[in-house]
Amino acid sequence: MAHDQKKEEDPRKVNNPFPLDSNCYNILDEIGKGASAIVYKAICLPINSTVVAIKAIDLEKLRADFDNVRREAKTMTLLSHPNILQAHCSFTVDSRLWVVMPFMSGGSLQSIISSSYPDGLSESCIATVLKEILSALSYLHGQGHLHRDIKAGNILIDSTGSVKLADFGVSASIYESNSSYGSWSSSFSSSMMLTDVAGTPYWMAPEVIHSHTGYSLKADIWSFGITALELAHGRPPLSHLPPSKSLIMKITKRFRFSDYEKTNDMKSKKFTKSFKDMVGLCLDQDPSKRPSAEKLLKHSFFKYSKGPEFLVKNLLHGLPSVEQRFKSMKIRMSLLLNKTDEEDEDESIGGTPKLRRISGWNFNEEVFELDPVFPSDRKQVTFGGEAFIKDKEKGSNESLNSSSSGQVLSETDHISVQESGSDGQDGNTVCNHNETCESVDVVGSGGAGGGNSTGDNGLVLQTLKFLKKSVDDQKQLVNHMIGLIQGEDSANQTSEEQLRKEIENLKVQLENEKKKNSALELELEFLKLKLSNE
Amino acid sequence: MKALFKPKPRTPADLVRQTRDLLILADRGTDTKESKREEKMMELSKLIRDLKSVLYGDSESEPIPEACTQLTQEFFRENTLRLLITCLPKLNLETRKDATQVVANLQRQQVQSRLIACDYLEKNIDLMDTLIAGYDNTDLALHYGAMLRECIRHQSVARYVLESEHMKKFFDFIQLPNFDIASDAAATFKELLTRHKSTVAEFLSKNYDWFFAEYNSKLLESTNYITRRQAVKLLGDILLDRSNSAVMTRYVSSRDNLRILMNLLRESSKSIQIEAFHVFKLFAANQNKPPDIVSILVTNRSKLLRLFADFKTEKEDEQFEADKALVVKEIAALEPK
Repeated sequence: MAHDQKKEEDPRKVNNPFPLDSNCYNILDEIGKGASAIVYKAICLPINSTVVAIKAIDLEKLRADFDNVRREAKTMTLLSHPNILQAHCSFTVDSRLWVVMPFMSGGSLQSIISSSYPDGLSESCIATVLKEILSALSYLHGQGHLHRDIKAGNILIDSTGSVKLADFGVSASIYESNSSYGSWSSSFSSSMMLTDVAGTPYWMAPEVIHSHTGYSLKADIWSFGITALELAHGRPPLSHLPPSKSLIMKITKRFRFSDYEKTNDMKSKKFTKSFKDMVGLCLDQDPSKRPSAEKLLKHSFFKYSKGPEFLVKNLLHGLPSVEQRFKSMKIRMSLLLNKTDEEDEDESIGGTPKLRRISGWNFNEEVFELDPVFPSDRKQVTFGGEAFIKDKEKGSNESLNSSSSGQVLSETDHISVQESGSDGQDGNTVCNHNETCESVDVVGSGGAGGGNSTGDNGLVLQTLKFLKKSVDDQKQLVNHMIGLIQGEDSANQTSEEQLRKEIENLKVQLENEKKKNSALELELEFLKLKLSNE
Repeated sequence: MKALFKPKPRTPADLVRQTRDLLILADRGTDTKESKREEKMMELSKLIRDLKSVLYGDSESEPIPEACTQLTQEFFRENTLRLLITCLPKLNLETRKDATQVVANLQRQQVQSRLIACDYLEKNIDLMDTLIAGYDNTDLALHYGAMLRECIRHQSVARYVLESEHMKKFFDFIQLPNFDIASDAAATFKELLTRHKSTVAEFLSKNYDWFFAEYNSKLLESTNYITRRQAVKLLGDILLDRSNSAVMTRYVSSRDNLRILMNLLRESSKSIQIEAFHVFKLFAANQNKPPDIVSILVTNRSKLLRLFADFKTEKEDEQFEADKALVVKEIAALEPK
């Protein structure tokens, strides 16, 4: 590894120049926001007003052992690679943890795409960026670290075109087992599995969602493949659904044809054979068949990669600043959310109440998207939603899919309260019940995979957490919109009217989510009761 | 590339011996020429990485128990661990990380169903002094800290650290300005005080006076939010552990302790309030409350009841509500003695 040699300087001499005192920093602007953190652009006064990014994490929102933040801070201190964003330092300021990092003036690829490249990037850009990220991943995996949240939003770029992987908030080390009271042996290879659910739904590998089966480094490769699709199309697959829904869909294996129709317009875009092939390798259902990061680096697709100047010229040129993008993103987000909701509503009213079980996602190289896999009738559906294609080589995939075991179990699994005539073994269960039915089902199939009751609760809990988060997000958006309208005096009537409507819509949506949430919570209580009776 | 397919010429024991030779060289660190030295250090880095892959396996293969045993035996046959720890400052970042993982793994390796790492450490217990001192060194703290946490998995080693003078230093380490180091020290501190129940109970009863005096003044009354929050959580964990019931009874009989916990109950931070409640409830539930505790509770009765009236966890928590109801009942029924 080339960077190994570069790290020869006397370690005791490395005197960190960044002060551990908030008074030494001057915050300029807000450039990002998450559930429990805000990212600022700031200058560090004692060091010639060097521009930095500060991630301020609200510790009040975290559990008291702070194990996750501790691990993140440690990871960011100890990893050293040109394509990994390192922290300058971190310290607490009252109930906030400040992580001081280099300022990446280009921002995240996600923000670049949504502001200027809604239909995706060119293949040479993608190859250039992804090669850098692969090199980071290869280093990370060599260290026994999983990133667990690879996505365009976590790929940052600076003014010189240098690309860095960021956000180790949910990363994990397979050496440092979380269950320190567990087994006394651990090993590097496949047997070393993590089982907690982490990451962002759209990018999550199937085995991460079915977390009771365990997953390892190859989960990052899946997310890497999804990120490639994201860069190519401008958004990840299934992203027209809210995250909780995408997750539930993957858990329940239920799928509506109409959910995919929107992706048809993507067909017009042409991609090279080698790109499709590369993504196809990453999105293999079987983690063991996905190539390692190191191996993937040698794929022919990355021969298209260029230097950082190429990105400066072809990607960064003429972009609005990160601060500006963040501001307009806030507004656009709320509009987008709203739109999705409307379309969603339309479908459920007007359209196809058909829900089918699927056992996972197959990457369709032709259409360059993910296809659902139907377990029992072994059929595959293209994105047009019309054509059923016999799946020729599914046999082995089947057994790997926890949903197929789920099918078997759902017959015996008494947890499922749903009395719908789902005889479980034809993949054709039609669910025309109401919301509650859906939520029951989440529970049912969550339990199906492992057949162990504690796992059920875990999954349901995760789902509930996601739902709760999406409710929270929406609440925040509503608040934001209200703030916007109040602050806007020059806005003309129509746009104000529009915004008001949107708020109304968001409120309705919020209510719906809340209802769903409480329905799920009810189910959870019911399950708990059942379990304690057993 | 070729090397991948070549059978490994060296046995695990060879790897350890060569590592040891190079460590001795690095430890002396004089007379060799700069270029020569660099070459040797590169070789050392490679060897330590090889040790790691024997112990952990790699992306292609699982670790082989037989090889691990050989390696462990040779490693502790002589003073390799001491050399590795003392030479750590001379290694580069990547090699330090590898070394840390090797040391961590060795603590768990059994040779003829004995943890020989433990035997070694008992005879070389001063190594703990070196590791703990690492918290004062920004560049070594995270590596030494991780090694230390692995070593105190052995009960005898944990007992040594608990009973040493070092224990006092942890009160400062966990408040270091550097978050990554402070939180590492906090994790070690917690491990020391929760892992080996009988040892912890013994330590706490023997050292009750100074330990809780420090704990109260330095941690629970710290100006630092994260220190207070972690400390009150840990205090709850300690006192609620059945093996520490004697210590708990003593703790909840002190009016000074009660005063501190009541202050924490009034914090603006919800999380601290909740954690403080879990300790406070022990004062209230104590069936043999000393008169001065009773009188404090009676004096503050209306304030406390008002506080608890709208005291809620973010998520609904049945256990919490039940505890709260009990505490309220207990306080409401108090008669001044």
